[in-house]
Amino acid sequence: MATIVDDAITGEIIRNGFAVAAEEASVVVVRSSHSTFIQEGADACAAILDARGQLVAQSTATSLMHGASLRCSLPSLLEDFAIDSMEPGDVFALNDPYRGGIHANDILVFRPIFSDGRVVFFAGTLIHVADLGGNAVAGLAALATDTFAEGLLLPPVHLYRRGEPAGAVLDIIARNSRAPEKVMGDVKALVAGVNVIARRIEELLERYGAEELERFVAASIDETERRVRADLCRLPDGTYRGTFPIDGDGVDPDREFAVQAAVTLDHGAITVDFAGTSPQARGTINSSFSQTLSGVVYAVRCFVDPTIPMNEGCFRPLRTELPTGTLVNPEPPAACGGRIMTVAAAVEAILHALAGARPDHAVGASALIHVFSLSGVAADGTPWLNLFYEFGGLGARAGSDGPDATGAFFLGGRSVLPQIEPLEAQYPLLVRSSRLWPDSGGAGEWRGGLGVETVIELLTDAVVTVRGARMDLPPPGAQGGAPGAGGVFAIERHDGRIDVLPSKAANVEIGAGERFVLRTSGGGGLGDPKRRDPELVRADVAAGRVTVEGAARDYGVELA
Amino acid sequence: MTRGCAIGVDVGGTFTDAVLADASGDVTIGKVLTTPDDPRAGIVHAIERVLADSGLDASAVTRVVHGTTLATNVVLQRRAEAIALVTTKGFADLLRLGREARVEGDRYDLLFTPAPPPVDPRLTFEIAERVDAHGEVLVPLTDEAITEVVHRVAAAAPAGIAICFLHSYAHPDHELAVAAAFRDALPETYVTCSWEVWPETREYERAMTTAVCALVGPVMARYLAGLEAHLRELGIGCPIEIMESSGGVMSTGAAARRPVATVESGGAAGVTAAGIVGRTVGAGDVISFDMGGTTAKTGIVREGDPTITHDFQVGGKGSFGGARAGTGVPLKIPVVDIAEVGAGGGSIAWLDGGGALRVGPRSAGAAPGPACYGLGGTEPTVTDANLLLGYLDPAGLAGGVSLAPELAHAAIERAVADPLDVDVPDAARAIHEIVNAAMTAAIRVVTVQRGIDPRGFALVAFGGAGPMHAARLAATFGIRSVIVPWGAGVAAAFGLVSSDRTVDLVQTRIVDLEDLNDPSVVEAQFAELERRGRAELAAGEGRYVVTRSADLRFRGQAHQLTVPVTGGPFGGEDISVLAKRFHEVYRHTYGIDTDAPVQLVNARVRVVRVVDKPDRRPAAAGTSDVGAAQVGERPASFAEAGGFVATPVFDWSRLDPGHTVGGPAIVEGRDATIVVPPAHVAVVDGWRNLVLELPRPGVG
Repeated sequence: MATIVDDAITGEIIRNGFAVAAEEASVVVVRSSHSTFIQEGADACAAILDARGQLVAQSTATSLMHGASLRCSLPSLLEDFAIDSMEPGDVFALNDPYRGGIHANDILVFRPIFSDGRVVFFAGTLIHVADLGGNAVAGLAALATDTFAEGLLLPPVHLYRRGEPAGAVLDIIARNSRAPEKVMGDVKALVAGVNVIARRIEELLERYGAEELERFVAASIDETERRVRADLCRLPDGTYRGTFPIDGDGVDPDREFAVQAAVTLDHGAITVDFAGTSPQARGTINSSFSQTLSGVVYAVRCFVDPTIPMNEGCFRPLRTELPTGTLVNPEPPAACGGRIMTVAAAVEAILHALAGARPDHAVGASALIHVFSLSGVAADGTPWLNLFYEFGGLGARAGSDGPDATGAFFLGGRSVLPQIEPLEAQYPLLVRSSRLWPDSGGAGEWRGGLGVETVIELLTDAVVTVRGARMDLPPPGAQGGAPGAGGVFAIERHDGRIDVLPSKAANVEIGAGERFVLRTSGGGGLGDPKRRDPELVRADVAAGRVTVEGAARDYGVELA
Repeated sequence: MTRGCAIGVDVGGTFTDAVLADASGDVTIGKVLTTPDDPRAGIVHAIERVLADSGLDASAVTRVVHGTTLATNVVLQRRAEAIALVTTKGFADLLRLGREARVEGDRYDLLFTPAPPPVDPRLTFEIAERVDAHGEVLVPLTDEAITEVVHRVAAAAPAGIAICFLHSYAHPDHELAVAAAFRDALPETYVTCSWEVWPETREYERAMTTAVCALVGPVMARYLAGLEAHLRELGIGCPIEIMESSGGVMSTGAAARRPVATVESGGAAGVTAAGIVGRTVGAGDVISFDMGGTTAKTGIVREGDPTITHDFQVGGKGSFGGARAGTGVPLKIPVVDIAEVGAGGGSIAWLDGGGALRVGPRSAGAAPGPACYGLGGTEPTVTDANLLLGYLDPAGLAGGVSLAPELAHAAIERAVADPLDVDVPDAARAIHEIVNAAMTAAIRVVTVQRGIDPRGFALVAFGGAGPMHAARLAATFGIRSVIVPWGAGVAAAFGLVSSDRTVDLVQTRIVDLEDLNDPSVVEAQFAELERRGRAELAAGEGRYVVTRSADLRFRGQAHQLTVPVTGGPFGGEDISVLAKRFHEVYRHTYGIDTDAPVQLVNARVRVVRVVDKPDRRPAAAGTSDVGAAQVGERPASFAEAGGFVATPVFDWSRLDPGHTVGGPAIVEGRDATIVVPPAHVAVVDGWRNLVLELPRPGVG
């Protein structure tokens, strides 16, 4: 009996040990990185995997898309490098979307962790680095039509061999970047992260031994799987269907795209079949298999206990059917940089399908991340570039309005946006205003969250690339709710002319003194707007969320 | 200056503690129940008690230092009256857009709703003005604009006014002019601007810090004025000083001007106390471990000084003791670096969805309290486990609560032992050790996560529950020495009477070190901060200690590391010394080197006015036999002894300096119980502290 108790105690200590190691590594990567959106965004993924490639623990602040990529890439590393050939101090990198990666700019770094000369675990880290080539800056090749236009691809390669830099690879990365200093800083931050994990896990190995750790890892993954299955058992069995449109790939304007999901619940097992999903696009919206899988895991986790730890046990009850040559499992060399649109469409399709099993979980659709990059040459002659993004409103829920402008789904909230003062200190631009966009939330008994309007004045000539989503087809409402307002990218020219850009456009010139205007989409409403409590409409008007005209037009509430 | 006696009074969630130190260094301690509706009643009661017990007259009191949770409560409970925010045109939604992070389980919560901002959007006002990152004025501030905004704000009649303009850290004139206009027009209204509060870059945190000042300021001013009146009625005429989050103390005037500086007042007092205890016994590097009823707090003291952080969130979320950036209310002020976990004596043991045993963060608090209190609590807590393990005396705790083992047994049996199919003592041991694991995470946050190896540190354990768990925690980290201070239950109040007057100041000015041709510019920056600091402390004489530091980063990075700067004047060679130190700290923190140019971001200055303090001299070793201090024996459980063994119980107050107690043993004080595990040795030092030495490093 004492053994059971001892196991419980040791298990708790080891569980803490792994989780804290991943957290610590993620903090180290953020704090030592050189890309503004990583530093300000705290968006770095760190994970620990076992020698068989099972996910043991991952940093909790991160997007599931990144964690899933680390998990799906490790087998590719092990295909190319026999595990027995690895040595202490080796560090590897890769970024190939067809081998578990995401797109060129998301670099994955792995370091094997040894015990008695045997690889027991792997430490992994991943961030979107500053720039790795491609036909637009900062990894935002919005109009690329193949992976070659998206930047330098790395098959699994050594970055460090026995602790020494494997010179050529680092040089190649630097030589292929528009921002060599920053990209080297970013890669070193990734390495610092895996080093921290290795140090912490080695301490645990020293204390408990490899076999004991492996035993607890196996038990904790089994336990997670059991909990996910038990929660899924509470949903009524059956097959539920959902579909969600994507508003274009920016390359073939006449094509329509949608992700279709058939979700089958069967005694705690869940199968998601994407048959019927559009064929792969020429543009960048294709989602490599690791990314589609992350969307599936995310959507399923919204229906189970949120305190269940994130490890391999969350993947085991899932089966996915990913038809090849479609958006959710493209064939090379399809471009993948804009995969978030397909991943998010997969999430919405599954959420809508499962709302059939849990009607109280019905939601209006949410706005998605609006991404853009700016680059130019500063007054002193140094080139500059940066990747920016902003969020729109979230969809309304049964019983509450959608939150204003924040990260939808796995995107983690507005904490990832750079602040204005550090941006202006680093780049030749001035933010003229940044405000919530009134009336942009989809009307409904429950209102969608608001988008944001931001105006940025350029101080030197610059080039802008944009990649928006859910702008041309704004986030739909549900159960009679209206869609949110569609977001806009535009340039206010010197002569007062306003050029509205398509939602995906690359390398558009913008002159010094001209202004880049971004409006993000609002979230979809839920239920008939006429059923909204007039007091709530009045409060919205007082708080500036709805205009007096909007109150009359959308809700039939006159407040003159 | 004649030396009088000093009183420290710390208000906690359950108890209000007072410590009176007289001129000779003799200490009287008092503990009364906190009066949550108006904490001043409890404070007065505690002070009356220590005065009575010491036999001193109120007129002998020359110093009162107060640790308060008022600011935190106002922020967390949003109890304050409505305030206005005035900001640069275009940015009225600064706070509302916010940076609300969605972390951990929140990601999967389809009903997630961010907390509302502390300022009502209807009370947010824009004014036409604009400064750039270099401090150049792009849109001048006009008198018409000022008049117009004053008029609009006055019409709304807010309780306080916060002013925060973009890049005001680089050019404060606009903020100061608007603040002056408000002070003229609305002399009764609390007015503050970000330049006066904390002029550091990052507009969201700076605006939030300023807004919190305006929220708390009026409440704090009223509270302190009332408290001073109460103390005058007692016959205490000296002004009150308030413990700051950074470990120094400030005047009531400064606390009303910058009330945000008091958010971690109580926590800072604990870490300060740990540092003082460490210094007394010759340990400069200590880990402070304070475990009460609901939470355990850990902090670090290096070479006698508490470690400070500049990224703090009130009510931040995140497991493992670290509040995650973007959660909670961020404050840009120096705060003693504390990791807090929901693990205390009242923490409830439960089985999660997977049937795994978990402890906390939910706490039974003071009511209904642990099951063994017999006050209606039925859920098993850490205190219940400690009672069944024989660590706590069933006869009771300080405050006259007696403990019922049968209730503890029933609670643990029902909620833990039966479902897990283990016996009750095993379940109790599991609860004890799992709460230890949670606290281990908190110690890890402030040590290894900050790149600090805890093995060279001593662990100073206090709070009602801390000394029962300390030896085991120390063993986990290979820490060899545990110090339990005399009066462990009121250690934070002891920290208050031993603190100095302090001012922290910062100024952002970003420059590459390689472009820094004229070091006198930096010297002028430091000298100005130092002048302002001295001016703020000028009320009294005494010895001043000024420390300079700088925040540096590699160009292209956004996060800085703080590096000490040698006292002025700042000269040419200091630039290269600074760069060299930064490289060292960076390598130490991140385990990697980079050769990018180094940037100076912030200059920081701390000015300390050293306050005359009672000097406690060690007592000589006693001549009595240690056996005379033994008051009983009871079975207590120790894993290394294979279960329950007869364990001698000692009365701390009867132990004399020089006495040595070998484990297993239990030492009972008035307000804390110390567990000495087998093979450990506890020595009573000249200040009656118990110093536990571990048998050998790394034994777990």
